[in-house]
Amino acid sequence: MRTARHARWIGPVVLLVTLGLSAVAEIPLADYEAVLLAIPVSDLGRVLGAIELGLGQPDFPASETMQYLDRLAASRYSAPEREALLSDIVVALEEGLPIEGLVTKGLEGLARGVAAAGIQQSLHQRWVLLAETRDLLYAKGIFSVAPGSPQSVDTALPTPRFNLLVTHISDTIADYLEGGGSPFEGQTLMQEVRFRLTSLEGAILNPADVELVLKRIEPADLTRVALSAVS
Amino acid sequence: MVPEEAAATVYRVQDEVSLLRASLEGETEAWGEIISRYKDAVFGLCLGFLRNRADAEDLTHDAFIRAYVNLRRYNLEKRFSTWMFTIAANLCRNRLRYRRNHPVAELPAQIRGGTDPAKIVAADDRHAAIREALNELPYGYRAPLVLRYYNDLPYREIAEILAIPEGTVKTRIHRGKAMLKQRMEERDPA
Amino acid sequence: MRPIDIDDVLRSALRQEVAETAAGLDGLEERIVLELGERRPRLRVGDWMRQLIAPTRSGRIGQLSLVGATAAVCLLIGFFAATRFSLDGGSPAIRLEPSRNADGTQEVLFVLPALDANEVAVVGSFNSWEPTTLSDDDNDGIWTASIPLPPGRYEYAFVIDGRWWGQDPLADEYVHSFGEYSSVRYIGGGDGA
Repeated sequence: MRTARHARWIGPVVLLVTLGLSAVAEIPLADYEAVLLAIPVSDLGRVLGAIELGLGQPDFPASETMQYLDRLAASRYSAPEREALLSDIVVALEEGLPIEGLVTKGLEGLARGVAAAGIQQSLHQRWVLLAETRDLLYAKGIFSVAPGSPQSVDTALPTPRFNLLVTHISDTIADYLEGGGSPFEGQTLMQEVRFRLTSLEGAILNPADVELVLKRIEPADLTRVALSAVS
Repeated sequence: MVPEEAAATVYRVQDEVSLLRASLEGETEAWGEIISRYKDAVFGLCLGFLRNRADAEDLTHDAFIRAYVNLRRYNLEKRFSTWMFTIAANLCRNRLRYRRNHPVAELPAQIRGGTDPAKIVAADDRHAAIREALNELPYGYRAPLVLRYYNDLPYREIAEILAIPEGTVKTRIHRGKAMLKQRMEERDPA
Repeated sequence: MRPIDIDDVLRSALRQEVAETAAGLDGLEERIVLELGERRPRLRVGDWMRQLIAPTRSGRIGQLSLVGATAAVCLLIGFFAATRFSLDGGSPAIRLEPSRNADGTQEVLFVLPALDANEVAVVGSFNSWEPTTLSDDDNDGIWTASIPLPPGRYEYAFVIDGRWWGQDPLADEYVHSFGEYSSVRYIGGGDGA
């Protein structure tokens, strides 16, 4: 019978599709749990929950995050130090902020052999700047929406594009401050941000997004954001 | 759904579309009717997200203004509530970040006058406990809970409003409830 | 407290909270209607189209000027678009392109003259700061590696016999990181090459 014949190959097809999907899928949560236990973290539920939140985002840096956790677990830092090197990333995930810049900076610190306090200071400042930068974009009427969703207002960007703006603007300010720049030099900050965004235009940043941001933010805005990170 | 209920819903939706069309033509009275239908839902969303009454009132007002001004962006064939709630949720996210730098006192704890305060407080103790626990919950967990348990929205709609995948919505709700439960048990290990 | 209880308590607590605090909503619709006054929702492109096919006579006059204006705008947009970059990460056609791979990555050359070195590697944000070795097969003291990179911004430094050195002359930019210098390259787009 025809239906029986169709039924016979549906099973293998489903299996193949599932296998294919799982091959492409991110690192399973159980792997994160295993390395978190090895670090170890004192509040496993919270950290795992934060990672789960992040996993739901399309731009979550899965393999870098895993590498960071692996290296923390294998590092010579004490347990409290390791927790400190995770805390800002956890909070950032809980607040829905893009963590790629944080993880990369953390990996750099570990590779350079920097003292835990130094890395943690950098991560903390960068987390604050991520949050403040996102606030700034919201204040300027620029929002994020899930990719594929209808835009509620003209200036609603798909989340991955929005996150890239947040990442690169805040990263620029962080680099500037860590290099000894004064938060009060708004014009200089503006130049730095303009340089960064236009350098990445067409590469990883949408030119319309860059134009939108550069049209709306001003030197005084960047000073305010920078001050929030140093006060 | 019973046939009469279904018919009433269809009528209401058609009715809503007419109101929205009229609003698009500039009939602000029609928009007023939309506001009266949605204000409790939007206010409840804002209050749940922000945990601050004054902010919730402000943002409810702002959301309806913004929605009206941007009404032409709304696709009449899609669900209006989703669109309306998305605008409110975006405004809340904005305000929440602002509030981090300019904090105000949270909602006062449950204290009621009346004939027998002890009895009333005891009856509402679980409400008070969960409201306090909700204040402490990170925003990322709180928002889906509010949309689910106050606005009674399906996962799919919550996902659209918060711009996160449906699977994440379920996870956050599950974890959010676990965290609430934990905080309430810490407060009162009865 | 069992999970079932949480659902009910949460539901009723939220409703009660709104009931207690919703007094401020009284008259909201009247206030907003007053505030909006004569305001109409913002115009969008579709409204131009509707006006273009206006049937009335007075509408016709407006229609003609609208047609002219719309045509002029379209011409300008078309002209502008022809000379503009595409939106999706592709580089403008005018520029010279360094070698691009099929997967969109670009072969980026890292070069370091280091005559007396035994081991040279590069670490950066593109390899999670794990060393990628450079080679000097002809022993002329020039160490090289070619790494395929997708478009973006990359911070890096060289590691020469275990010591980090972050001032690559070929870098687009330098940053100060953890008290030391790192080099930066921009790949693809903007002024990056």
